[in-house]
Amino acid sequence: MAKTSSSNAIEKNPYKHWRLHTDSHGLAWLTIDRANESANTLGRDVMQELDAILDDVSSDLPKGLIINSGKKNGFIAGADIREFGDANQADTAEIIRSGHAIFDKLENLACPTVVAISGFCLGGGLELALACDYRIALDIPSTKIGLPEVKIGIYPGLGGSVRLTERVGGLKGMELMLTGRALNARAARAAGVIDEVVGAHGGLDWHARRAVAQKRKSKGPGIVGKLSNTALVRPLLARVFRKQTAAKANPDHYPSPFALIDAWEQHRGDRARMFQAEIEEVSRLMVSETAVGLRRVFNLMERLKGLGKADAFEVKRVHVIGAGVMGGDIAAVCAARGMQVTLQDREMQYIDPALQRARKTFKKILKKPLAVDAAMTRLNADVEGVGVGRADVVIEAIFEDVDAKQALFESLEPRMKEGAVLATNTSAIPLETLSGVLNRPERLIGLHFFNPVAQMPLVEVVRSEQADEREISKGCSFCAQIGKFPLPVKSSPGFLVNRVLAPYMMKALSLHLEGRSKPTLDAAATGFGMPMGPVELADTVGLDVCLKVADTLSGSDIAKEREMLEKLVASGKLGKKTGSGLYQWEKGKPVREQKITGFDVHLQSVAERLLQPFLDECEACLRDEIVEDADLLDAGIIFGTGFAPFHGGPINYLSKSS
Amino acid sequence: MARKTLRPVAVIGGVRTPFCRSNSAYSELTNLDMMSTAIQGLSDKYSLKGEVIDEVSGGAVITHSKDWNLTREAIQSTDLSPLSPAITMQQACGTSLQAVLSSAGKIATGQIECAIAAGSDTTSDAPIVFGRKFAQRLVGLGRARDIKSKFKLFQGFSPKELIPQPPSVAEPRTLLSMGQHCERMAQEWGIDRAAQDELAVTSHNKASAAYSAGFFDDLLVPCAGIVRDNNLRDDASIEKMATLRTVFDKTDRATLTAGNSTPLTDGASSVLIASEAWAKKHGLPVLAWLTESRTAAVDYVAGEGLLMAPAVAVSDMLKSAKLGFDDFTHFEIHEAFAAQVLCTLKAWESEEYCRQRLQRKDVLGSIDRNKLNINGSSLAVGHPFAATGARIVATLAKILSGTTGGRGLISVCTAGGMGLSAVLESA
Repeated sequence: MAKTSSSNAIEKNPYKHWRLHTDSHGLAWLTIDRANESANTLGRDVMQELDAILDDVSSDLPKGLIINSGKKNGFIAGADIREFGDANQADTAEIIRSGHAIFDKLENLACPTVVAISGFCLGGGLELALACDYRIALDIPSTKIGLPEVKIGIYPGLGGSVRLTERVGGLKGMELMLTGRALNARAARAAGVIDEVVGAHGGLDWHARRAVAQKRKSKGPGIVGKLSNTALVRPLLARVFRKQTAAKANPDHYPSPFALIDAWEQHRGDRARMFQAEIEEVSRLMVSETAVGLRRVFNLMERLKGLGKADAFEVKRVHVIGAGVMGGDIAAVCAARGMQVTLQDREMQYIDPALQRARKTFKKILKKPLAVDAAMTRLNADVEGVGVGRADVVIEAIFEDVDAKQALFESLEPRMKEGAVLATNTSAIPLETLSGVLNRPERLIGLHFFNPVAQMPLVEVVRSEQADEREISKGCSFCAQIGKFPLPVKSSPGFLVNRVLAPYMMKALSLHLEGRSKPTLDAAATGFGMPMGPVELADTVGLDVCLKVADTLSGSDIAKEREMLEKLVASGKLGKKTGSGLYQWEKGKPVREQKITGFDVHLQSVAERLLQPFLDECEACLRDEIVEDADLLDAGIIFGTGFAPFHGGPINYLSKSS
Repeated sequence: MARKTLRPVAVIGGVRTPFCRSNSAYSELTNLDMMSTAIQGLSDKYSLKGEVIDEVSGGAVITHSKDWNLTREAIQSTDLSPLSPAITMQQACGTSLQAVLSSAGKIATGQIECAIAAGSDTTSDAPIVFGRKFAQRLVGLGRARDIKSKFKLFQGFSPKELIPQPPSVAEPRTLLSMGQHCERMAQEWGIDRAAQDELAVTSHNKASAAYSAGFFDDLLVPCAGIVRDNNLRDDASIEKMATLRTVFDKTDRATLTAGNSTPLTDGASSVLIASEAWAKKHGLPVLAWLTESRTAAVDYVAGEGLLMAPAVAVSDMLKSAKLGFDDFTHFEIHEAFAAQVLCTLKAWESEEYCRQRLQRKDVLGSIDRNKLNINGSSLAVGHPFAATGARIVATLAKILSGTTGGRGLISVCTAGGMGLSAVLESA
């Protein structure tokens, strides 16, 4: 490649996924632009080309090498997870080994190397960046920098575990890898992950050029960072890391962060050995059941996200009727996402508590006081319902009464603007009953949110018999715009999630009536991998709600279980919200009379009995075509109930275990 | 070269950020942030991504010296073509209206086909500098060659020089703030407190109703999570307005309050104008034609009212256009202060003023209040100095594009005793 080629000359680009161009000042610009993909990932082809390019570059060394992205959305999203598919351990080890060799070439290049990051730079993308001399990033909201590998059951395998702890020290580096969290540009600079932040109005490439010209170098970790990598400190820190990680992830189900801690503790003193540990450990983790399950979850998540992208419907204004727990929280989540929301109820006194709760929600989601204040201005009480006419989405979340809802829908329809979505959050009344009063019954859809709305990632988009498909896809699009995963479900009692949960919770009650202790039941479920035991779940949902759901859903004989619930509800013990239910609650936590750890054979058999009705009901839902296919069912159950993600969903679990 | 005939100038429409009181929601933003947000909003609204705009002009009144090329920088932070040239200019509160007028002239004479006018202001990100004395010492330091001359530079130094100087909104020649000047005008013209409060409340009520009706929906682009002007009160009332204390004068006869004066405001606005051919080529409907304009000044140092220049500008413009108030369906009179609007209206009704100052045979007449600022104005939405002109052009153009159509008059007063006026006619 001629160094002196003028910038106007059209050079034939021999690469599919990269463009290499040497400018008239002797700087080599390497741009990743993966062919036929919307985002850059480090697939096999991409890595092979990079290998060849680095050979090229080192044989005719430029004044400096600058790596950037040809895609607007970001730099590199990571490795290509699709390629992990059914890799075996030996092949994986080989792929990692050759990846190490390629990044070594980059690291050892005899000219300054600079990475210019705009948008996401995750996983393998950051590992590539860490092999360069200097990293700069544009300070825009979409810039996210991190190593999220633990979330798919492995740990960074392209030198990330080695180079990140070198660059930023053990304390910060391990924290970032163990949590898998991504940083914005300024936080990444503060942590030392990148070296320079360019303001949103700045020219990223020109800052990169200056960095080469001035031969800027990464500063490296401070004294604390360096100390935290020493043999003396590592065992102490490792113990803290293990404890903190165990509080969030069960080592039996999620071994990868613990493998990372072990590798760092034992080998951080020896760079080559630490690379070797990556090859051995990551290839072993890659083929583990957990990683396979989590990759499936990742793909399911992408599919649900895709459902929300199918329609160009854009939501700016939302009108919510009913400022109760659900309505108020739905309104708050919409406002937190930048929408303009009007919240209607009969009188101001019913709306005020929702506004106060919303401020708390905003503080949790948005954190910055200015952003919280701005969100409060987007959420407005609207007793008269003047917001209906301008809303893109109108959501009904009033008390479950057919007459009241029908009267409401009748009055809403003529006031709504053309093309706006009309939705109900009901889980008790069939959509067909409500839509009958409309001139266009096909426009009504269900948007079934879960409590607590701010935390639960799933929304069931309910399709009535007459539903207009366009309205369903608009509903999905709305969900995506408020950061939720949409799951289209058929209108039928309990839809998917509640229908599956009800028999499971009833089973827990009957096992309890048979003499199993509540903590045993919860320990059995969490041992299996559920995020929360059924007894705690019932208390969290509210026993009054459970009772209603049980009445509409549970067909078999549940007289005794019902009686037990009725007694508690009658005495005002509704669960977490009243401070007492099946458990006593203190500071938002249930008080358990016995502490049970581990998952022994006995607990395993309890778990099997507990889960049986749950799994049976999943299969029944599939037969009844509540959702389109088994994958969507698994996706819905994982994001709606938290069903042990590493099992890859109930249907996947059944097919694995059969 | 053959002579060119004048061409009509089309207002395609405008977009602005919501306006916020200073040191509130936009306290972390700069003029560059806000101006580029407003122009990007325009680009999104009219699908202008990648388009070369023949001329982008605009500016800010309160500005950092680093923002010397503000408008050009703003363009480069949008998805418009970076080949769009830009002018950073300023005429106090008339900035973005003057930007519209000067680009419109070039469109009319066929020099350019399209232009964006923009304005931004923030007093939250105010440039705070050292006094001239200390600044000169610092500049000298760079030139001084040896220790001795460096030392000499600091002879007579007083720590007082280190007190930073925020920008002042007082008139440099009269030492009075704009509010103090306006209070003087109110006294001269006999504008009482009640009339001012009433005008302010009307402005809030009209703007509030326009918001509820969705009038502003496509005129605003969200900025820093804000979707609506935060100065606007839905519950404004004469009773509440009457409780506010006067602020510019401490005597009993004082009339100006924080309610009937505009607050210091942050925000930005932009407007797209073009030739008819350009609009047609891009499939963009014309909201209104820009047909007349005039800028005038008054000798406030010699004693004229500082903010009376619009009275002159409008009169001169109407004379040359052979138009009278009866020919207008709408009036957009910028409300820097309620008193300033009322003084101007009274001046046009005054036989003496019209004859002596405006050189007219008869009075110009009264303005039907029902045609005045029908969707509210600066007293309600706020007044980021340089952004107000483009806001008014976009607002009036949209009003005129409605079913009733018509002809609208714009007037804006500025610091330094200047006034701008313009006429829009429905397309």
